[in-house]
Amino acid sequence: MAQEKKKETNMKRRWGMAIDLDKCTGCGQCQVACSQENNMPLFEDDSEILKRVVFLDVMKVTNDRDKDAQYPNVKTAFIPKMCQQCGGNDPDHPKPPCVSVCPVVATDVGDDGVVSQVWSRCIGCRYCQASCPYEARQFNWWKPEHEGSFKESLNPEVSVASRGTIVKCTFCSHIWKRERDKMLAKGVKDINAVLYTPSCVAGCPTGAMVFGDLNDPASEVSKLSKDKRAFRLVHTVDNWDEAKKAHLKKNYPNPKVYYLSSQEWLRKMAAF
Amino acid sequence: MNKLERKDVIKLAGGAVLGTAVGTVFSGAPFLGLQWLVEWTQDQYVPGSGDEKFIASICQSCSNKCNLSIRMIGNRAVKVETSNSACPVGANALQLLYHPERIRQPLKKVGGKGNSKFKPVSWDEAIKDISAKAEKLKSENKGAAIAAINGQNAGLSGQLLARLLKTLGSASCFVEPGLATLSAAAVKATQDIDGSLHYDFENSDYILSFGARLVEGWGEPSRMNKVFAGWKARKAKYVQVDTICTRSASIADQWVPVKAGSEAALALGIAYYLMKMGRGSNAANFGELAKIINADFTPEKVSQLTGLKPEAIEQIAKDLAGAGNAVAVAGRGGWGVSSSTAEFVAVQAVNSLIGSLGRRGGVQVAVNGGLGEPAVDAAAAESIKKAKKQSGLDDYIKNGVQPELLFVNEADPVFKSVYGAPLAEKMEKTAMVVAFLPLINDTAQYADYIFPTLSWLEIPAAKGKDAAAVKTESKHAADAILQIAKKIKGSDTAFAWNSFKDIIAAAGKTEIRGAGNLTIPADVMKAFAAELPKKLAPAKDFPLAMIPFEAALLGDGDGLAFPYVLKGLDDTTLTGRKMWVLMNPETAKKHGASEGSRVDLESKRGEVGSVKVHLTKTIAPDVVAVPLGFGHKAYTSYAKGKGVNPKLIMSNDIDSVSGAADWWYTSVKLS
Ligand code: SF4
Ligand code: SF4
Ligand code: SF4
Repeated sequence: MAQEKKKETNMKRRWGMAIDLDKCTGCGQCQVACSQENNMPLFEDDSEILKRVVFLDVMKVTNDRDKDAQYPNVKTAFIPKMCQQCGGNDPDHPKPPCVSVCPVVATDVGDDGVVSQVWSRCIGCRYCQASCPYEARQFNWWKPEHEGSFKESLNPEVSVASRGTIVKCTFCSHIWKRERDKMLAKGVKDINAVLYTPSCVAGCPTGAMVFGDLNDPASEVSKLSKDKRAFRLVHTVDNWDEAKKAHLKKNYPNPKVYYLSSQEWLRKMAAF
Repeated sequence: MNKLERKDVIKLAGGAVLGTAVGTVFSGAPFLGLQWLVEWTQDQYVPGSGDEKFIASICQSCSNKCNLSIRMIGNRAVKVETSNSACPVGANALQLLYHPERIRQPLKKVGGKGNSKFKPVSWDEAIKDISAKAEKLKSENKGAAIAAINGQNAGLSGQLLARLLKTLGSASCFVEPGLATLSAAAVKATQDIDGSLHYDFENSDYILSFGARLVEGWGEPSRMNKVFAGWKARKAKYVQVDTICTRSASIADQWVPVKAGSEAALALGIAYYLMKMGRGSNAANFGELAKIINADFTPEKVSQLTGLKPEAIEQIAKDLAGAGNAVAVAGRGGWGVSSSTAEFVAVQAVNSLIGSLGRRGGVQVAVNGGLGEPAVDAAAAESIKKAKKQSGLDDYIKNGVQPELLFVNEADPVFKSVYGAPLAEKMEKTAMVVAFLPLINDTAQYADYIFPTLSWLEIPAAKGKDAAAVKTESKHAADAILQIAKKIKGSDTAFAWNSFKDIIAAAGKTEIRGAGNLTIPADVMKAFAAELPKKLAPAKDFPLAMIPFEAALLGDGDGLAFPYVLKGLDDTTLTGRKMWVLMNPETAKKHGASEGSRVDLESKRGEVGSVKVHLTKTIAPDVVAVPLGFGHKAYTSYAKGKGVNPKLIMSNDIDSVSGAADWWYTSVKLS
């Protein structure tokens, strides 16, 4: 493929997230905060996992299946997982695995690094879902419903998806837009002057989630991303041979969500 | 091999696709066909627009009173953020506010009790009927047959009910058993104060929790979440004693795995070593406790009961003694807490030996400011004096009189108490049951009248901050009770307030006191020492110990009405209405169960089933870990008929001091 020309932009921000698993109690409040903010469908039986649509999944993981694992030398941990906002390998031409396969540009990378998803443009081919290494994308097999008066609490800034479309976490980019509009009303035109907090981060009671600008070396998220406890979620291969490693590097999704843990087993389980 | 357990989330980078439960391999288009095309091209539901504003309010769902910011679009509330984002109740607030099954006007029973059939009734008619009933019972000298059950967070409305009952001649006002009632019973038994234990977690450096799952809904979750973040920030050490690797055990700095039901034995074993290290206690009767410890809780015996090596117990004692501001915490569980008074005393004995009673970062006593005592006429006073006394709700259900008028205030004892079934029977025979609730739960099915109460967002707050507009006929339980009381001749004079707002202003503040002087109730501890080894000895017929745990946000069942909570349940908690229990693979093998197999659980009280088995080494051998909160018979279509309620077969021995059953440890078998 011919190299496209790098886009001109005055955007300085590159949004990223850091989630400290040593502080995450698995309380699930991030999921509820996300679902409320992003108009997740409310089916009568949301305990039916096949039917469930949710952007953020608090995954329970444990090392109890290790060969030598024995009670009580086992651990559990929680990994809140949403779209990892992949950047791809080429910093000049960010191409996350999902974006390169979409035939109708329903998903794209903004100049702030956020991978967008426009439900109304999606034709439901599900190529992106198949190519996402994190299973961060959800398909509306059923018509998204909001039973009865639950409709009252819908957020007008996030459109309700149709059946047969793919949805996913957008780093709550509508909140950023909301903050920008507010600043604009105050006369601030510099887009880089506006910070924001996604709903899940605002809802986390223990401060395990941190959000901010990865391009700003002074931001907390930048610092955390370079912490020695930091890692990113990637597939672990037991016996990597060189060929596999090369393949992995080529397709390394380069996500902007960082996790932190002091627990070796957890880092080993989830890290590159 | 290291592998993520639950899902194959992280697949080969670059898009090699593995089939998963959702089936990501083939395109959705052919499957959905024409209907999909039609829906895709047509407009979807568009939420109404309107001006955005933010309302500042105060959450009244617990005593923490967090500031809330409610985002409004026009007259719709679309988002709630709490000042400390630390509260799960706040997170679910909108789902209660706009719950399609919320009660919107007062309801009256139609037909037999327990059938979930109600018809609308006016506030006036209902209040008239109820106040007439109360007046009649009092005039016939049957005031003692009036009872009330308050939920743990009923707060001031609970105090109003207690007050109303007193003026009618009854002292049978109970709080649903849990941390609050156990802690109150322990404070009464050891210090003869009407108060509750207050742990100064904000200033503790070393926290030893005896099964209290401190980050899973225990106490005031909004406070505990903050406290936990504080511990991490200042590197306080959090040590969790538990039989299963719960969320708390996992996130703690140290997990002390003990045999099921042996938390109090461990506390006394630690006390043994502290005494050996020369630590003393000022508690009255401590000598008697020391005798019991030296006889029945020697390192060898405690080691046998807990499964910990004596060195491990000694090490905890050393760590405790060596820490700056250390504190030991009692009250096993998360939202649902069950324990014994003896266990609280054992843990307080440890606190007294490390000097943490009344000390910064230690444990104090909170005394709630109330509304003061009401004036009670001679007939009512006489009735209270003569009536049979029960120490707690379970004791009342089991041994108390049959009520003729029963109030239930923001509580679900039919679901939550191990005496739920006999309570339901009692309620069927009760002439009039009045419930104050926003949703019809398992208990409200047996009500004759249900008054719709407010969601946390609508509760009128003090100091002029607005709450979201109430769109239904709902009222705060306190306002409803006030209206009833004002209609009862003789009681009306004890209720001078006009509304809940006045009552908030009138209520005294909570006062934190030093822990005062501890007295060890020696007889309680003697009985406990004699009973415990028998209770924990493996039973031939029921060889497994059943221990409860709670799924995130679900708690002891209150979360199940909320669909976003259901969204968080994983595939080894609830699938297809079937609930899962957890077992160690070796235990399962011994008892003929395997991954995914269906079993029934049987105790000497009966059987529940069927449930599915998930094998994990995070559970101690010979233990079945069972989730709480499932098995509702009502409580909206979201909760109803999902899983089973283990309380039906849990231990129902009643603790003589707290009057609550200690259901934590139950001997069961698979059948
Ligand atoms: S996590 Fe998946 S959906 Fe998100 S950017 Fe990466 S490939 Fe795309
Ligand atoms: S960033 Fe927004 S959309 Fe993404 S998981 Fe968090 S709350 Fe959900
Ligand atoms: S809200 Fe925070 S602590 Fe709770 S599960 Fe999410 S990341 Fe973890």
